[in-house]
Amino acid sequence: MSLQLFFDALALGGIYAIAALGIALIFGVMKLVNFAHGQFIACAVFALILPSTDAMAVLGLGRLPALVLVPVMLAFGAGLALLAEALVFRPMRNASPVALMVGSFALGVALQNLLLVLYGGRPKAVSLWAELGHPVQVGPAEVPLLQLIVIAAVLAILLGLAVMLRRTRIGLEMRAAAEDFAMARMLGVRANRVISGAFALSGGLAAVVALVLVAQTGVADVRMGGQIMLVAFIATVVGGMGSLSGAVAAGLGIGAVSALLQAGLPAEARPFRDAFLYGGVILVLLFRPQGLFASAGSKPRV
Amino acid sequence: MSKLAVHDLAVRYGKLTALAEVSFTVAEGERVFISGPNGAGKSSLLSALAGAVRAAHGRIEMDGDILSGLGPEAIARRGLSMVPEGRRIFAGLTVQENLMVGTGMRRDRGAVADDLETVFNAFPILRERARAPAGALSGGQQQMLAISRALMTNPKVILVDEPSLGLAPKVVDEVYDRLTDLQTLRGLTMIIVEQSSARAARVGGRMLLMRSGRIVADGDATGFAARDLLTEAYFGAPT
Repeated sequence: MSLQLFFDALALGGIYAIAALGIALIFGVMKLVNFAHGQFIACAVFALILPSTDAMAVLGLGRLPALVLVPVMLAFGAGLALLAEALVFRPMRNASPVALMVGSFALGVALQNLLLVLYGGRPKAVSLWAELGHPVQVGPAEVPLLQLIVIAAVLAILLGLAVMLRRTRIGLEMRAAAEDFAMARMLGVRANRVISGAFALSGGLAAVVALVLVAQTGVADVRMGGQIMLVAFIATVVGGMGSLSGAVAAGLGIGAVSALLQAGLPAEARPFRDAFLYGGVILVLLFRPQGLFASAGSKPRV
Repeated sequence: MSKLAVHDLAVRYGKLTALAEVSFTVAEGERVFISGPNGAGKSSLLSALAGAVRAAHGRIEMDGDILSGLGPEAIARRGLSMVPEGRRIFAGLTVQENLMVGTGMRRDRGAVADDLETVFNAFPILRERARAPAGALSGGQQQMLAISRALMTNPKVILVDEPSLGLAPKVVDEVYDRLTDLQTLRGLTMIIVEQSSARAARVGGRMLLMRSGRIVADGDATGFAARDLLTEAYFGAPT
C-alpha cells in the first residue's frame, strides 16, 4: 500500500469517525438516532457564508482568522444542537425511540428548508483556507497540508474525547447514563446536564466535519449533510449502536475501505465503489447483527 | 417525627393497579422489611419512593419535605438512595467508577474519600478489584458493589430491593451482616424487600406484609414467621 493511499484512507476515515461519534454520543445517552445530524453539519457549513441566493458565496464568519474561526464554529455547532435539544427533543423526552427518530427527521427537513430559503438551492463555491491545499513532501509521498491537519485534528479530538470521558465528572456521568440512564438518575445524575452535554459535544463535532468538508471540497451545498450522515449512521450501526469506540473504529474502517476501493478497483468498476462498500457492510451485519462492538448497555441484564 | 411518611400511595401501569391505599411511616434509624408474594407491589413501592415510577395518587414525605412528584435525581439529592432489583451496576465502568457516579451531587467533597475507605473496609474485595470492570464481579460482589454505590451518595434513607436474589445462602449472610453493620455505623433508615420471612426474622426489624398492592400486616419480623398472617398473605384468608 502506498503512503499516499494510507493518508487518504486515514483522512477520509477520520472524518467519518467524527461524524459517527456525533450520532453515537446522542444515541448512547438517550437512544435517539439523530437524523438531523447531517443538517447540523449543513447549517454549520452555511454559517460560514452570508445569507443570499446568489450563485457566488460571500464569506461571512469564514473571513475570521482560523484561530478565531474554529472556536466560533465549535460554539455555533454546540449552540445549534443545544437549541434543537431544548426546542424539539426535550418536550419529547419520554417518547418512544421511534417517535424521537421521526422527530429528528422532521427537524432535519425543517433545517434543510430553512437553508433553502436563506441561501437558495444551488451549490456555491466557497474558498476557505485555500492555501492549505499545497502539497507537502512526507517521505516518498506528496500529501496536501490540509490532509495532514485533518488527520492531526481527528487524532487530537479522539484523544481529547477519550480523556474527557475517562477523567472528568461529566464524562463519568455520560458513560454511566449510556449504560443505564434510570439508574444513573437514581444516583443523583441530572438527566438534563448529561443530555445537554451530549448534544453540545455532538454539535461541536458536526461543526468540525463542516469545516473539513468545506475546506476539502470548496463547495457549500444544502444537501451535503445527507451523504455524510448516511455513512456516519452506517458506521454507528456497524460499530454497534451506542458504542463510541465501535463508531470510531467503523468510521475509520469504512473510510479506509472506501479509499482502498477507489484506488484498487479497475476503472470500469469504480463508479460502483459504494455498492462494493455497502455490500461489505451487509456481510458484516449478517455475521454480527449487533455490530462489531456491542455496547454493555445493549446487553440483556440478568 | 417520622423519617419517611407514605400516605395513601397508588401506582398504576396503564389499567393495572400495582399499588393502592398504601400508608405507613418509618422512624429514623428503623429497619423495615417488606415481604409478600410475587406481584404484591413490593418493587413498585420502592420504585415510587425513589421516583423511578410516578405515583398515580398519594403523598410521600421525607423529613417533612414532599418527595412525590420529584424526579429520581432530585430525590437522590435529598438523601434517599436505592439498591435496585437485579443490582443494575454499570458493567462497563470500573468498580471504583461505579462508586463515584453518585458522589457528583455531594457538597461535602472532603468526606467522599473517607466514605470510600468505609465501604472498602466493609467489602475488602471491592478495594482489591477497584480498577476491574464491574461486569467481571461475581453476583455476590455485584450486590456488595450496588450497596456500596448507594452508600457513597451519603444517604439518610436507603432502599434495598431483594438483596438475596440469586445469591448463595452463605453470601446472603455476609451481605446482611455488612448491611446491618453499615446501618448502625451510619445511623441509616433502611427499607429492605425480602421474600424470606425467616431471613427477615433472623436479621430483625419491623415487617410490612404486602398482597395485591396493599399492606395487609405490619409488625415485628420475628413474630411473622410463625403467624398465620403470612400464609394468609400468600394463599388468601380461609373462608
